[in-house]
Amino acid sequence: MEFFSPTDLLGSSPILALGLFSLIALLVNAFLKNSAGMVFYVSAVGIFVAIGCSIYTFPMNATAFSDMLLVGGYASFFSVLFLVIALFSMFIAKPYLEREQYHYGEYYVLILLATIGMVMLASSADLITAFLGIEMMSVSFYVLAGYFRGKLSSNESALKYFLLGAFATGFLLYGIALIYGTTGTTNLLRIVTMYPQPFNDPLHIIGWGLILIGFGFKVAAVPFHMWVPDVYEGAPTPVTAFMSTGGKAAAFSVFLMTFSVPMSMRDERLMTVLAVLAAASMLLGNWFGLSQTNLKRMLAYSSIAHAGYMIIGIASATPMGQQGIAFYLVSYALTNLGAFGIIAMMEKENGGNLNYEDYAGLGKRKPALAALLAMFMFSLTGIPPFAGFIGKYYLFASAVQSHMTWLAIFGVITSLFSTYYYLRIIVYMYFKEATNHEEIKLPGLTFATVILCGAGIVLFGIVPSLIFDLMKSIF
Amino acid sequence: MQSYIPIFLMIGVSAFLGIVFLVLQRFLGPHRPNPEKLSTYESGMPPVKSARERFSVKYYMVAVLFILFDIEVIFLYPWAVNFRALGLFGYVEMILFILILLVGYLYILKKGALQWD
Amino acid sequence: MNMYEIIFYFFAFITVASASVVVFSRNIIYAAFSLLFTFFGVAGIYVLLNADFLAITQLLIYVGGILVLLLFGVMLTTNTVNIDIKSGSMNVLAAASVVAALAGLLGGVFWTSDWFVSKQMGELPAQTTSKEIGTALITTHVLPFEIASVILLVAIVGAAMMARREGIKSQIPSSK
Repeated sequence: MEFFSPTDLLGSSPILALGLFSLIALLVNAFLKNSAGMVFYVSAVGIFVAIGCSIYTFPMNATAFSDMLLVGGYASFFSVLFLVIALFSMFIAKPYLEREQYHYGEYYVLILLATIGMVMLASSADLITAFLGIEMMSVSFYVLAGYFRGKLSSNESALKYFLLGAFATGFLLYGIALIYGTTGTTNLLRIVTMYPQPFNDPLHIIGWGLILIGFGFKVAAVPFHMWVPDVYEGAPTPVTAFMSTGGKAAAFSVFLMTFSVPMSMRDERLMTVLAVLAAASMLLGNWFGLSQTNLKRMLAYSSIAHAGYMIIGIASATPMGQQGIAFYLVSYALTNLGAFGIIAMMEKENGGNLNYEDYAGLGKRKPALAALLAMFMFSLTGIPPFAGFIGKYYLFASAVQSHMTWLAIFGVITSLFSTYYYLRIIVYMYFKEATNHEEIKLPGLTFATVILCGAGIVLFGIVPSLIFDLMKSIF
Repeated sequence: MQSYIPIFLMIGVSAFLGIVFLVLQRFLGPHRPNPEKLSTYESGMPPVKSARERFSVKYYMVAVLFILFDIEVIFLYPWAVNFRALGLFGYVEMILFILILLVGYLYILKKGALQWD
Repeated sequence: MNMYEIIFYFFAFITVASASVVVFSRNIIYAAFSLLFTFFGVAGIYVLLNADFLAITQLLIYVGGILVLLLFGVMLTTNTVNIDIKSGSMNVLAAASVVAALAGLLGGVFWTSDWFVSKQMGELPAQTTSKEIGTALITTHVLPFEIASVILLVAIVGAAMMARREGIKSQIPSSK
């Protein structure tokens, strides 16, 4: 019987740090009255410590806990991304929850716990850890989506998300069981080595198919996207910001890692399935996005479409595609956090001020806010010099590289659709007269976060090598 | 499989007895109903209103917490079976496992989730 | 047909028969109680597969816990806003075709695949699996083991948050 090796402890240090601080935060919340503010600081410190641990382990390239956990490189890169997302979404949440008078410490505890799940997902080298990570993240999300317990829309959001999410997890688990049944192991590294060549075992194929359904649900790809609009619209805005960025990024990190196993053979059938999934998501996401009037719903459909763009990177199965996904996730996370941050500031009680018309004349009323929102919309559309453009360029290029030019062309055409609804908000902000003259309060913390997000997408849009240099050592 | 024979026997005997008693009382027992006997509480208070009422959410809380700690106990079982072989390391691990849940327990205790009023 | 197979078909019959009651019963309470036998039958099959620990878990958690929660769930929701909880049949044709396709797929896979069959199948288990599981949980699978406790913690916090009355500003009309 041996105690942990140093690699085990170092490798799991971000998880350990987050776990420790979430326990402390929970105790603070339980034993001190009116401690929501203090829980916020404890959680923020926990996230900073975890970021430190992740950065420290970045140069390592190992596995921990008998090949259950990846250490360094891939895991560290994504962990830092999730941790930053969690931090930013907490910054957006604090003023929002205080305004809505729903400021409780549990919110931050649940964010920390969800982040543990995300970090597990990025580090999982085993289907068991992947499953536990997904569960931990999802259960926290179900609760967070229903955080406004008194609001019907929030309850609806939580219930829909929970029922469909639990169903999707069932598919994932069934798939994992079949993979285990055919290979005798759940470890990705071992499945790769004992992979039947070429894989024609029907049980094995169905296993991967079921896992694909589970992941497809978590990343919100068509045809597993039905939950997205209602859940995103009904959940409290800072929670939507966190789910749509952190949840998606975490799901993609595990999707990419897990599917690197069957894709290592560059199996034509699987590539086609993924390509069709990507094409359907891009088409339907953008198509339904056109007719939305509510900004949160519009961003929900946009999130489906962006899942489609990122699946291109998995379908192409090239290092360029994988780097493209990683870069795209960074840019998408910053852009969406920024956009939701602005929505959170604009929102009035009981879900008011969420429609396009409410943003009319914002260019004159709050020029800085309007300029930032315009930047985020440009980045989502994929217009240079913002980060969204570089990400899309890499993903489409990877499709061409893998002889799927049709997919790249399809992506470009559907991006053109999306221009309409992304730029429509800009038209409202700058070319329509304001109808609503209520004062808009800009809480410092949220506004600073939004500015940071804006700075991020400009910086990474102009100097993408900042991220691509890091990724050369990962992929 | 051998070790399960008593369990199967037990299941068989209990199922058999249950069926036998149900059948026997049908044939042996006297059957003379009257309104008093057929009322819900034969020798209790007359019921005031329908029993089909919405239950308090407090029951749900208790049931959920019961399941969660039930699962905790399930995890204890395989560890307890070879407690000696797993040694100090296993002990420390299990303490850690329980401590995490203890924090959860303290939380619900302080938040008053277990208080009935 | 040996003893092993007879017992297997006995449990399989209980599972399938009671599961169809769950699906087809129009009364949700009957469905919930029928689920008891489904869980029980599955536990029996676990025993036959030499997964005794799993069988115990199935009995303790599903029969002892989940089912109680399910019944509480029914009691918590019935007659709140005068909605009868009944399971009717809708979209029979669409559902039947999906089920047929799925059954065809699973059946086809069942016949054509190379099963990774354990050598000890259908024989006496050398010893109970609890010991091996205990060892695995503390050694190779220690990380999932500890994480499982954190997931339980999430569930505790979530349940307490959802069901707590303090500080609720309700839009939802109360029942009476």
